[in-house]
Amino acid sequence: MSRRVVVTGLGGLCATGADVSEFWANAKKGVCGISRRTLTAGEEFSITLPVAPIDGFEARLESLGREMSRADRFTQLAVAAADEAIADAGVDFAGGLGARTAAIIGTGIGGQTTFDTAYLAMLKHGKKPHPLSILKIIPNAPASHLSIRYGLKGPAFAISSACASGAHSIGVAADLIRHGSADAALAGASEALLTYGAMETWKAMHIMSDELCRPFSKNRKGLVIGEGAGVLVLEEYESAKKRGAKIYAEIAGFGMNADGKDMINPSADGAADAMKAALSTVGAADAAAVYINAHGTGTLLNDPTETKAIRAAFGADADKLIVSSTKSMHGHLLGAAGAIEAIATLKAMEGGVVPPTINYDEGDPACDLDYCPNEARARRIDLALSNSFAFGGLNAVLAFKKV
Amino acid sequence: MSDIDKGLLEIIKGHAIGLTGEPTRETPIADLGIDSFSIVEIIYEVEEKLGVEVPFNANENPLGNMKTVGDLIDAVKKLAGKE
Repeated sequence: MSRRVVVTGLGGLCATGADVSEFWANAKKGVCGISRRTLTAGEEFSITLPVAPIDGFEARLESLGREMSRADRFTQLAVAAADEAIADAGVDFAGGLGARTAAIIGTGIGGQTTFDTAYLAMLKHGKKPHPLSILKIIPNAPASHLSIRYGLKGPAFAISSACASGAHSIGVAADLIRHGSADAALAGASEALLTYGAMETWKAMHIMSDELCRPFSKNRKGLVIGEGAGVLVLEEYESAKKRGAKIYAEIAGFGMNADGKDMINPSADGAADAMKAALSTVGAADAAAVYINAHGTGTLLNDPTETKAIRAAFGADADKLIVSSTKSMHGHLLGAAGAIEAIATLKAMEGGVVPPTINYDEGDPACDLDYCPNEARARRIDLALSNSFAFGGLNAVLAFKKV
Repeated sequence: MSDIDKGLLEIIKGHAIGLTGEPTRETPIADLGIDSFSIVEIIYEVEEKLGVEVPFNANENPLGNMKTVGDLIDAVKKLAGKE
Protein backbone atom coordinates (compact mmCIF):
# COMPACT_ATOMS: atom_id res chain seq x y z
CA MET A 1 0.00 0.00 0.00
CA SER A 2 1.27 3.48 -0.81
CA ARG A 3 -1.06 6.35 -0.11
CA ARG A 4 -0.57 10.11 -0.27
CA VAL A 5 -0.25 12.01 3.01
CA VAL A 6 -1.18 15.64 3.57
CA VAL A 7 -0.86 18.17 6.38
CA THR A 8 -4.22 19.56 7.48
CA GLY A 9 -3.51 21.22 10.82
CA LEU A 10 -0.72 23.16 12.52
CA GLY A 11 -0.06 23.97 16.15
CA GLY A 12 3.07 25.31 17.74
CA LEU A 13 4.66 27.62 20.25
CA CYS A 14 8.13 28.90 20.96
CA ALA A 15 9.88 32.08 22.07
CA THR A 16 8.50 34.04 19.12
CA GLY A 17 4.88 32.98 19.33
CA ALA A 18 2.29 31.52 21.70
CA ASP A 19 0.53 30.03 18.68
CA VAL A 20 1.13 29.56 14.96
CA SER A 21 -0.45 32.84 13.97
CA GLU A 22 1.77 34.90 16.30
CA PHE A 23 4.80 32.78 15.40
CA TRP A 24 4.31 33.34 11.70
CA ALA A 25 3.58 37.08 12.01
CA ASN A 26 6.84 37.47 13.94
CA ALA A 27 8.76 35.24 11.51
CA LYS A 28 7.78 37.47 8.60
CA LYS A 29 8.89 40.53 10.59
CA GLY A 30 12.18 38.94 11.60
CA VAL A 31 11.50 39.20 15.33
CA CYS A 32 14.28 37.75 17.49
CA GLY A 33 13.19 35.71 20.52
CA ILE A 34 16.65 35.47 22.07
CA SER A 35 17.53 37.21 25.32
CA ARG A 36 20.01 36.80 28.14
CA ARG A 37 18.47 35.00 31.11
CA THR A 38 19.54 33.63 34.46
CA LEU A 39 18.39 30.07 35.20
CA THR A 40 18.61 28.84 38.77
CA ALA A 41 18.45 25.62 40.78
CA GLY A 42 17.92 26.10 44.47
CA GLU A 43 19.62 29.14 45.92
CA GLU A 44 23.26 28.53 45.10
CA PHE A 45 23.26 27.38 41.48
CA SER A 46 22.73 29.73 38.56
CA ILE A 47 23.77 30.22 34.96
CA THR A 48 23.33 33.30 32.78
CA LEU A 49 23.30 32.89 29.02
CA PRO A 50 21.38 33.80 25.87
CA VAL A 51 18.36 31.54 25.36
CA ALA A 52 15.01 31.65 23.57
CA PRO A 53 12.40 30.96 26.28
CA ILE A 54 8.61 30.95 26.16
CA ASP A 55 7.41 33.59 28.60
CA GLY A 56 4.04 33.45 30.31
CA PHE A 57 3.16 29.84 29.52
CA GLU A 58 2.36 29.11 33.18
CA ALA A 59 -0.73 31.33 32.89
CA ARG A 60 -2.15 28.95 30.26
CA LEU A 61 -1.68 25.80 32.32
CA GLU A 62 -5.02 25.75 34.05
CA SER A 63 -6.84 25.95 30.72
CA LEU A 64 -5.05 22.77 29.59
CA GLY A 65 -6.83 20.71 32.26
CA ARG A 66 -5.95 18.89 35.45
CA GLU A 67 -3.88 16.12 33.86
CA MET A 68 -1.37 18.70 32.70
CA SER A 69 -0.61 19.57 36.32
CA ARG A 70 0.78 16.04 36.47
CA ALA A 71 3.00 16.50 33.42
CA ASP A 72 6.43 17.96 32.74
CA ARG A 73 6.74 21.20 30.81
CA PHE A 74 7.72 19.39 27.60
CA THR A 75 4.42 17.49 27.68
CA GLN A 76 2.45 20.63 28.51
CA LEU A 77 3.97 22.38 25.49
CA ALA A 78 3.20 19.40 23.24
CA VAL A 79 -0.42 19.29 24.39
CA ALA A 80 -0.87 23.03 23.83
CA ALA A 81 0.52 22.60 20.31
CA ALA A 82 -1.65 19.54 19.61
CA ASP A 83 -4.84 21.24 20.85
CA GLU A 84 -4.16 24.08 18.42
CA ALA A 85 -3.33 21.76 15.50
CA ILE A 86 -6.50 19.71 16.01
CA ALA A 87 -8.67 22.84 16.17
CA ASP A 88 -6.93 24.16 13.05
CA ALA A 89 -7.59 20.92 11.16
CA GLY A 90 -11.20 20.76 12.32
CA VAL A 91 -10.75 17.00 12.50
CA ASP A 92 -13.13 14.85 14.54
CA PHE A 93 -11.64 11.71 16.07
CA ALA A 94 -15.03 10.29 17.00
CA GLY A 95 -16.72 7.86 14.65
CA GLY A 96 -13.80 5.52 14.16
CA LEU A 97 -10.97 7.84 13.12
CA GLY A 98 -9.50 7.91 16.65
CA ALA A 99 -8.94 4.15 16.49
CA ARG A 100 -6.88 4.67 13.35
CA THR A 101 -4.95 7.77 14.45
CA ALA A 102 -1.29 7.69 15.48
CA ALA A 103 0.45 9.95 18.01
CA ILE A 104 4.15 10.22 17.19
CA ILE A 105 5.71 12.95 19.33
CA GLY A 106 9.47 13.15 19.58
CA THR A 107 11.82 14.76 22.03
CA GLY A 108 15.57 15.01 22.38
CA ILE A 109 15.64 14.46 26.14
CA GLY A 110 12.20 14.40 27.81
CA GLY A 111 11.21 15.68 31.23
CA GLN A 112 14.31 17.67 32.10
CA THR A 113 12.56 20.03 34.53
CA THR A 114 11.30 17.05 36.52
CA PHE A 115 14.74 15.43 36.42
CA ASP A 116 16.37 18.57 37.78
CA THR A 117 13.74 19.04 40.48
CA ALA A 118 13.90 15.42 41.61
CA TYR A 119 17.69 15.29 41.79
CA LEU A 120 17.95 18.63 43.58
CA ALA A 121 15.43 17.38 46.16
CA MET A 122 17.25 14.07 46.63
CA LEU A 123 20.88 15.13 46.54
CA LYS A 124 20.68 18.51 48.19
CA HIS A 125 17.79 18.15 50.61
CA GLY A 126 17.72 14.40 51.15
CA LYS A 127 14.06 14.37 50.17
CA LYS A 128 12.06 11.92 48.11
CA PRO A 129 11.19 12.73 44.50
CA HIS A 130 7.54 13.27 43.61
CA PRO A 131 5.80 9.90 43.01
CA LEU A 132 4.84 10.92 39.49
CA SER A 133 8.40 11.86 38.50
CA ILE A 134 8.93 8.88 36.21
CA LEU A 135 5.62 9.43 34.42
CA LYS A 136 6.64 13.04 33.88
CA ILE A 137 10.18 12.25 32.68
CA ILE A 138 9.60 9.45 30.16
CA PRO A 139 10.05 10.68 26.57
CA ASN A 140 6.76 9.07 25.47
CA ALA A 141 4.73 11.15 27.94
CA PRO A 142 3.41 13.57 25.26
CA ALA A 143 2.40 10.74 22.92
CA SER A 144 0.66 8.93 25.78
CA HIS A 145 -1.12 12.00 27.12
CA LEU A 146 -2.35 12.88 23.63
CA SER A 147 -3.62 9.37 22.98
CA ILE A 148 -5.56 9.53 26.28
CA ARG A 149 -6.74 13.12 25.78
CA TYR A 150 -8.17 12.46 22.32
CA GLY A 151 -8.93 8.73 22.46
CA LEU A 152 -6.31 7.91 19.84
CA LYS A 153 -5.66 4.19 19.62
CA GLY A 154 -3.34 3.90 16.65
CA PRO A 155 0.46 3.56 16.94
CA ALA A 156 1.84 5.90 19.61
CA PHE A 157 5.44 6.40 20.63
CA ALA A 158 8.27 8.88 20.91
CA ILE A 159 11.16 9.18 18.52
CA SER A 160 14.42 10.43 19.96
CA SER A 161 17.15 11.41 17.54
CA ALA A 162 18.47 14.59 19.17
CA CYS A 163 17.96 17.55 16.82
CA ALA A 164 16.27 15.41 14.17
CA SER A 165 13.55 14.05 16.51
CA GLY A 166 10.85 16.36 15.13
CA ALA A 167 11.57 15.66 11.46
CA HIS A 168 11.88 11.93 12.12
CA SER A 169 8.53 11.94 13.96
CA ILE A 170 6.70 13.71 11.14
CA GLY A 171 8.34 11.57 8.47
CA VAL A 172 7.73 8.28 10.25
CA ALA A 173 4.13 9.25 11.03
CA ALA A 174 3.61 10.03 7.35
CA ASP A 175 5.06 6.62 6.46
CA LEU A 176 2.64 4.94 8.91
CA ILE A 177 -0.25 6.52 7.02
CA ARG A 178 1.34 5.91 3.62
CA HIS A 179 1.66 2.20 4.32
CA GLY A 180 -1.71 1.73 6.02
CA SER A 181 -0.80 1.41 9.71
CA ALA A 182 -2.90 4.52 10.44
CA ASP A 183 -5.27 6.87 8.62
CA ALA A 184 -4.30 10.04 10.47
CA ALA A 185 -1.63 11.17 12.91
CA LEU A 186 -0.60 13.80 15.38
CA ALA A 187 3.06 14.21 14.56
CA GLY A 188 5.67 16.53 15.94
CA ALA A 189 7.99 17.07 18.86
CA SER A 190 8.54 18.99 22.04
CA GLU A 191 11.52 20.16 24.07
CA ALA A 192 11.83 22.13 27.31
CA LEU A 193 15.44 22.11 28.42
CA LEU A 194 15.88 25.60 29.77
CA THR A 195 16.95 24.46 33.20
CA TYR A 196 20.13 25.12 35.12
CA GLY A 197 21.30 21.51 34.84
CA ALA A 198 20.67 21.13 31.13
CA MET A 199 22.26 24.46 30.23
CA GLU A 200 25.43 23.74 32.23
CA THR A 201 25.64 20.43 30.38
CA TRP A 202 25.21 22.08 26.98
CA LYS A 203 27.67 24.82 27.87
CA ALA A 204 30.26 22.15 28.64
CA MET A 205 30.36 21.32 24.91
CA HIS A 206 31.66 24.83 24.08
CA ILE A 207 29.42 25.27 21.03
CA MET A 208 26.97 27.79 22.46
CA SER A 209 26.86 31.39 21.30
CA ASP A 210 27.43 34.02 23.98
CA GLU A 211 25.28 36.48 22.05
CA LEU A 212 22.86 36.00 19.14
CA CYS A 213 22.43 33.12 16.70
CA ARG A 214 23.81 34.09 13.26
CA PRO A 215 23.39 31.15 10.86
CA PHE A 216 25.55 31.18 7.71
CA SER A 217 27.11 34.48 8.77
CA LYS A 218 30.88 34.88 8.98
CA ASN A 219 30.69 36.03 12.59
CA ARG A 220 28.50 33.21 13.81
CA LYS A 221 29.30 32.20 17.37
CA GLY A 222 27.32 29.01 17.79
CA LEU A 223 23.86 27.95 18.73
CA VAL A 224 21.32 29.44 21.11
CA ILE A 225 18.93 27.02 22.76
CA GLY A 226 15.20 27.62 22.66
CA GLU A 227 12.17 25.69 23.85
CA GLY A 228 8.82 24.85 22.36
CA ALA A 229 6.72 22.33 20.52
CA GLY A 230 5.20 21.81 17.12
CA VAL A 231 2.46 19.36 16.17
CA LEU A 232 1.03 18.66 12.72
CA VAL A 233 -2.20 16.86 11.88
CA LEU A 234 -1.48 14.44 9.06
CA GLU A 235 -4.20 12.71 7.07
CA GLU A 236 -4.48 10.32 4.20
CA TYR A 237 -5.06 12.51 1.14
CA GLU A 238 -8.29 11.02 -0.24
CA SER A 239 -10.10 11.09 3.10
CA ALA A 240 -8.87 14.61 3.84
CA LYS A 241 -10.13 15.75 0.45
CA LYS A 242 -13.45 13.97 1.02
CA ARG A 243 -14.12 15.80 4.28
CA GLY A 244 -13.18 19.12 2.66
CA ALA A 245 -10.15 19.69 4.88
CA LYS A 246 -7.85 22.64 4.32
CA ILE A 247 -4.65 21.12 2.93
CA TYR A 248 -1.38 22.91 3.62
CA ALA A 249 0.77 20.60 1.54
CA GLU A 250 1.57 17.01 0.76
CA ILE A 251 4.45 15.27 2.49
CA ALA A 252 5.84 14.27 -0.87
CA GLY A 253 9.20 13.04 0.31
CA PHE A 254 11.09 11.93 3.38
CA GLY A 255 14.77 11.13 3.46
CA MET A 256 16.47 9.68 6.51
CA ASN A 257 19.87 8.14 6.99
CA ALA A 258 22.94 8.11 9.21
CA ASP A 259 26.39 9.51 8.47
CA GLY A 260 27.98 6.51 10.15
CA LYS A 261 31.08 8.57 10.88
CA ASP A 262 31.20 10.80 13.92
CA MET A 263 29.18 11.85 16.99
CA ILE A 264 29.84 15.58 16.49
CA ASN A 265 31.26 16.39 13.07
CA PRO A 266 28.51 16.40 10.42
CA SER A 267 29.02 14.85 7.02
CA ALA A 268 28.07 16.73 3.84
CA ASP A 269 27.65 13.39 2.08
CA GLY A 270 25.15 12.10 4.63
CA ALA A 271 23.13 15.32 4.58
CA ALA A 272 23.18 15.42 0.77
CA ASP A 273 22.05 11.80 0.53
CA ALA A 274 19.14 12.50 2.90
CA MET A 275 18.06 15.47 0.77
CA LYS A 276 18.38 13.41 -2.42
CA ALA A 277 16.26 10.67 -0.86
CA ALA A 278 13.57 13.20 0.09
CA LEU A 279 13.63 14.63 -3.45
CA SER A 280 13.52 11.23 -5.13
CA THR A 281 9.73 10.95 -4.80
CA VAL A 282 8.64 14.54 -5.46
CA GLY A 283 9.00 14.84 -9.24
CA ALA A 284 10.14 17.92 -11.12
CA ALA A 285 10.03 21.39 -9.61
CA ASP A 286 11.11 24.83 -10.78
CA ALA A 287 14.26 25.57 -8.76
CA ALA A 288 13.23 29.21 -8.50
CA ALA A 289 10.17 28.04 -6.53
CA VAL A 290 12.11 25.85 -4.08
CA TYR A 291 12.64 26.89 -0.46
CA ILE A 292 14.87 25.09 2.03
CA ASN A 293 14.32 25.68 5.74
CA ALA A 294 17.87 24.86 6.74
CA HIS A 295 19.08 23.10 9.83
CA GLY A 296 21.27 26.26 10.05
CA THR A 297 22.37 26.09 13.66
CA GLY A 298 24.92 28.90 13.46
CA THR A 299 27.78 26.65 14.52
CA LEU A 300 31.17 26.71 12.85
CA LEU A 301 30.71 23.21 11.43
CA ASN A 302 27.04 22.89 10.49
CA ASP A 303 26.59 25.86 8.20
CA PRO A 304 29.35 25.26 5.59
CA THR A 305 28.66 21.50 5.69
CA GLU A 306 24.96 22.07 5.03
CA THR A 307 25.81 24.54 2.26
CA LYS A 308 28.04 21.94 0.63
CA ALA A 309 25.30 19.32 1.00
CA ILE A 310 22.69 21.56 -0.64
CA ARG A 311 25.06 22.11 -3.55
CA ALA A 312 25.65 18.38 -3.84
CA ALA A 313 21.92 17.61 -3.80
CA PHE A 314 20.79 20.36 -6.18
CA GLY A 315 23.81 20.95 -8.42
CA ALA A 316 23.51 24.14 -10.49
CA ASP A 317 19.95 24.69 -9.20
CA ALA A 318 21.42 25.49 -5.77
CA ASP A 319 22.02 29.06 -6.97
CA LYS A 320 18.37 29.50 -7.96
CA LEU A 321 16.67 28.26 -4.80
CA ILE A 322 16.36 30.12 -1.52
CA VAL A 323 17.46 28.98 1.93
CA SER A 324 16.85 30.36 5.41
CA SER A 325 17.37 29.40 9.02
CA THR A 326 14.54 30.42 11.31
CA LYS A 327 16.69 29.28 14.26
CA SER A 328 18.10 32.81 14.09
CA MET A 329 14.74 33.91 15.53
CA HIS A 330 13.36 31.09 17.70
CA GLY A 331 16.66 29.52 18.68
CA HIS A 332 17.46 25.83 18.44
CA LEU A 333 14.53 23.84 19.78
CA LEU A 334 16.71 20.69 19.68
CA GLY A 335 14.31 17.74 19.53
CA ALA A 336 11.44 20.06 18.58
CA ALA A 337 13.43 21.97 15.94
CA GLY A 338 12.18 19.90 13.02
CA ALA A 339 8.59 20.31 14.20
CA ILE A 340 8.51 24.10 14.61
CA GLU A 341 10.56 24.47 11.42
CA ALA A 342 8.13 22.28 9.47
CA ILE A 343 5.46 24.75 10.54
CA ALA A 344 7.59 27.71 9.38
CA THR A 345 8.12 25.88 6.08
CA LEU A 346 4.42 25.19 5.55
CA LYS A 347 3.40 28.76 6.45
CA ALA A 348 6.04 30.02 4.00
CA MET A 349 4.50 27.88 1.26
CA GLU A 350 0.99 28.95 2.15
CA GLY A 351 1.73 32.66 2.12
CA GLY A 352 4.43 32.76 -0.55
CA VAL A 353 6.83 34.45 1.87
CA VAL A 354 10.30 33.22 2.83
CA PRO A 355 11.09 33.91 6.50
CA PRO A 356 14.50 35.56 6.89
CA THR A 357 17.77 34.44 8.41
CA ILE A 358 18.14 37.30 10.87
CA ASN A 359 21.28 38.53 12.64
CA TYR A 360 23.14 37.98 9.37
CA ASP A 361 26.05 40.40 9.28
CA GLU A 362 28.93 39.44 7.01
CA GLY A 363 29.10 36.78 4.30
CA ASP A 364 31.23 33.68 4.75
CA PRO A 365 32.88 32.39 1.55
CA ALA A 366 32.15 28.84 2.76
CA CYS A 367 28.43 29.69 2.97
CA ASP A 368 27.61 31.02 -0.49
CA LEU A 369 23.90 30.43 -1.10
CA ASP A 370 20.99 32.86 -0.92
CA TYR A 371 20.05 32.71 2.79
CA CYS A 372 17.32 35.39 2.63
CA PRO A 373 19.34 37.60 5.00
CA ASN A 374 17.55 39.77 7.56
CA GLU A 375 14.34 40.48 5.64
CA ALA A 376 11.49 38.24 4.53
CA ARG A 377 11.00 37.90 0.80
CA ALA A 378 7.88 37.29 -1.28
CA ARG A 379 8.37 34.17 -3.36
CA ARG A 380 6.16 31.51 -4.89
CA ILE A 381 7.06 28.21 -3.25
CA ASP A 382 5.99 24.96 -4.93
CA LEU A 383 8.39 22.66 -3.14
CA ALA A 384 10.03 23.08 0.26
CA LEU A 385 12.52 21.04 2.24
CA SER A 386 12.95 21.12 6.00
CA ASN A 387 16.41 19.89 6.98
CA SER A 388 17.33 18.36 10.34
CA PHE A 389 20.78 16.99 11.11
CA ALA A 390 21.38 15.61 14.58
CA PHE A 391 24.34 14.98 16.84
CA GLY A 392 25.38 11.42 16.28
CA GLY A 393 25.13 11.89 12.52
CA LEU A 394 21.40 11.27 12.13
CA ASN A 395 19.73 13.06 9.21
CA ALA A 396 16.04 13.61 8.44
CA VAL A 397 14.72 15.72 5.57
CA LEU A 398 11.05 16.41 4.87
CA ALA A 399 9.84 17.48 1.42
CA PHE A 400 6.53 19.36 1.23
CA LYS A 401 4.80 19.95 -2.07
CA LYS A 402 1.73 21.98 -2.92
CA VAL A 403 -1.27 19.81 -3.74
CA MET B 1 -10.77 16.65 65.51
CA SER B 2 -7.04 16.41 66.20
CA ASP B 3 -4.47 18.60 64.46
CA ILE B 4 -3.23 15.68 62.42
CA ASP B 5 -6.78 14.88 61.30
CA LYS B 6 -7.24 18.51 60.27
CA GLY B 7 -3.93 18.46 58.38
CA LEU B 8 -4.87 15.26 56.56
CA LEU B 9 -8.30 16.60 55.69
CA GLU B 10 -6.72 19.74 54.24
CA ILE B 11 -4.36 17.66 52.05
CA ILE B 12 -7.24 15.46 50.83
CA LYS B 13 -9.28 18.55 50.06
CA GLY B 14 -6.47 19.84 47.82
CA HIS B 15 -6.82 16.77 45.61
CA ALA B 16 -10.63 16.51 45.70
CA ILE B 17 -11.33 18.24 42.40
CA GLY B 18 -14.78 16.66 42.15
CA LEU B 19 -15.97 17.92 45.53
CA THR B 20 -18.23 20.90 46.06
CA GLY B 21 -18.18 22.14 49.63
CA GLU B 22 -16.05 21.02 52.57
CA PRO B 23 -15.04 17.39 53.05
CA THR B 24 -15.78 15.77 56.41
CA ARG B 25 -14.96 12.34 57.84
CA GLU B 26 -18.30 11.14 56.52
CA THR B 27 -17.77 12.28 52.91
CA PRO B 28 -17.75 9.26 50.56
CA ILE B 29 -14.40 8.85 48.76
CA ALA B 30 -16.36 8.34 45.56
CA ASP B 31 -17.50 11.97 45.80
CA LEU B 32 -13.96 13.36 45.86
CA GLY B 33 -13.28 13.00 42.14
CA ILE B 34 -9.87 11.47 42.77
CA ASP B 35 -8.24 8.62 40.87
CA SER B 36 -5.97 5.79 41.94
CA PHE B 37 -2.84 7.88 41.60
CA SER B 38 -4.28 10.64 43.77
CA ILE B 39 -3.81 8.32 46.77
CA VAL B 40 -0.09 8.11 46.00
CA GLU B 41 0.06 11.88 45.62
CA ILE B 42 -1.83 12.40 48.88
CA ILE B 43 0.56 10.11 50.75
CA TYR B 44 3.55 11.94 49.26
CA GLU B 45 2.11 15.24 50.45
CA VAL B 46 1.45 13.80 53.89
CA GLU B 47 5.11 12.78 54.11
CA GLU B 48 6.28 16.20 52.92
CA LYS B 49 4.00 18.32 55.10
CA LEU B 50 3.87 16.26 58.27
CA GLY B 51 7.47 15.06 58.10
CA VAL B 52 6.53 11.40 58.50
CA GLU B 53 7.40 8.26 56.60
CA VAL B 54 4.41 6.38 55.18
CA PRO B 55 5.70 2.94 54.17
CA PHE B 56 3.39 1.24 51.73
CA ASN B 57 3.41 -0.77 48.55
CA ALA B 58 0.72 0.14 46.06
CA ASN B 59 0.73 -3.49 44.86
CA GLU B 60 -0.58 -4.63 48.24
CA ASN B 61 -3.64 -2.38 48.14
CA PRO B 62 -2.63 -1.12 51.59
CA LEU B 63 -5.58 1.19 51.96
CA GLY B 64 -8.07 -1.66 51.65
CA ASN B 65 -11.73 -1.12 51.00
CA MET B 66 -12.16 2.42 52.17
CA LYS B 67 -15.53 4.09 51.78
CA THR B 68 -15.25 7.45 53.48
CA VAL B 69 -12.73 10.21 54.00
CA GLY B 70 -12.57 9.09 57.64
CA ASP B 71 -11.47 5.63 56.51
CA LEU B 72 -8.74 7.23 54.39
CA ILE B 73 -7.53 9.46 57.22
CA ASP B 74 -7.40 6.50 59.63
CA ALA B 75 -5.54 4.35 57.11
CA VAL B 76 -2.92 7.02 56.42
CA LYS B 77 -2.50 7.63 60.17
CA LYS B 78 -2.02 3.93 60.75
CA LEU B 79 0.60 3.67 58.00
CA ALA B 80 2.37 6.75 59.33
CA GLY B 81 2.35 5.35 62.86
CA LYS B 82 0.32 8.30 64.14
CA GLU B 83 -2.71 6.32 65.14
